[in-house]
Amino acid sequence: MRRFRVPGWEAALFILSLLGIWQGVTTWVRLPNPALFPSVGATLKALAASLPELFKGTWSSFLILVPGYFSAVVLGILWGLLVGTTGWLHRTFFPFARAASPVPPTVYIPYAIALLPSFRLSAIFVVFVGAFWPIFLNTAAGAASMPARHRDNARLLGMSHVSYLRRVVFRAALPHIFSGMGVGLALSFILLTVAELFGANAGLGHFVQYYADFADYPRMAAGILYTGLVTLLSMGLLELVKRRALFWVR
Amino acid sequence: MNMSATAAESGFNLEDVSFAYGDHVVLEGINLSIGAGEFLCLLGQSGSGKTTLQRLLAGLERPSRGRVSWAGATVTGPGIDRGMVFQDYSLYPWMTLAENIGLALERSDPSLSSAGRRDRASEYLNAVGLAGTARKYPFELSGGMQQRAAIARTLALSSSALLMDEPFGALDPVNRAKLQDLLATIWREATPRRTVVFVTHDVEEALFLGDRVVVLGSGPGRVIGEVAVPFPRPRNRSLLFASREFHLLSETISDHYHSDVLDHLSPAWTMTGPGEGI
Repeated sequence: MRRFRVPGWEAALFILSLLGIWQGVTTWVRLPNPALFPSVGATLKALAASLPELFKGTWSSFLILVPGYFSAVVLGILWGLLVGTTGWLHRTFFPFARAASPVPPTVYIPYAIALLPSFRLSAIFVVFVGAFWPIFLNTAAGAASMPARHRDNARLLGMSHVSYLRRVVFRAALPHIFSGMGVGLALSFILLTVAELFGANAGLGHFVQYYADFADYPRMAAGILYTGLVTLLSMGLLELVKRRALFWVR
Repeated sequence: MNMSATAAESGFNLEDVSFAYGDHVVLEGINLSIGAGEFLCLLGQSGSGKTTLQRLLAGLERPSRGRVSWAGATVTGPGIDRGMVFQDYSLYPWMTLAENIGLALERSDPSLSSAGRRDRASEYLNAVGLAGTARKYPFELSGGMQQRAAIARTLALSSSALLMDEPFGALDPVNRAKLQDLLATIWREATPRRTVVFVTHDVEEALFLGDRVVVLGSGPGRVIGEVAVPFPRPRNRSLLFASREFHLLSETISDHYHSDVLDHLSPAWTMTGPGEGI
């Protein structure tokens, strides 16, 4: 496994140049519609001013993201372990999973909103569906590709099936599970914000949509920047957990 | 039941055992008795089914025909009375050595507390020369140390049979000799002695460790030779390797072994078309 690297000077230089270009263009270039292109300064000022509102929006978004994503993690792993280790379940369920998983979960949003009693519930459902497939598919693949020796040893040690799933298959499949969780988390953020563009009255996607509607582009840009940072931090946190959990993978 | 039947039934007994994957016959018509407390070495080239034979004894596979019995009862699956050590991946890499051995202790002594298991695991590690490694993970250890820990785990199972599938095959010669000595000592000092079935393709290793060496031939796997090893124990490697008897036995075994290899090479000498037999 590659060691975690703090971004080096090359990356920092690149980001600084991007900011420089951004600031340069908005300051010196005569743009046809300057209101559409907020400067770095205006965006940062808007970001600072909107922080309380953005924090509240984050909280609202996380009330969708956390239940949707974590129920996908729990069910995706449990079901993936069972399907990956049980022949008849694999034969029964996998063809369905192959057919159902590529459907873009965004197409469920209108129906979920019509079907479920609240917007929050429908958004949770859509996040769940989106995160479930990659986690399930990776877990099942990880369980199925485990070295046969691990199973032999469990049998020789007389492990119970539950103990075998929990202490052997789950651990052996963890590298796959984490890649599924990474893809699932990225998808969750996409689905969350898309769902919020549709019908939320709070949250990160709603924030961006709301100020775009009012043509307050500094605030909109601040919302985009902030959402990017929240996503980056969440992915970073997952990466950290992964490194701790997979200490034995060299 | 009379006395001789009891003696014959107390170890492993294979009666006309065959094993096939679909159409591919791996073992055919194996008849073999392994006495309780015997140290048996199984020798054979790759494809002779020696690993499959081990797996049948362990209960990891079931014979397609015939009967495998252990201690008088037909083997229907793995049991903690039969421990096994593989050439690699015997230990779970995400568990410390104490946890790996703890898995065996959970079964062999369910009354132990978790602290008791830790203590006992350390004792077993001491017994194989791995003092102070209880909290280490397998990836922190050399291959030889991992195999020692794998042996400690089977000792913790308290199994009366020890099945070893080329356990020292991946080790350098020095570590290999050290582990052979360790295994010989552990086996000799236990009362009653464990039944050991040791798979190898190294003639010297088989003669140094075994009471008896059984040679398997290939295509399909069958017993093609058998040699009783008369050397007294404890055995001294340098004296043994210098002795005339050792060389005679070694030649006898090699003859069996090589005749099998040659049997399988000769058909390729008569090619009926270009590239055939390659």
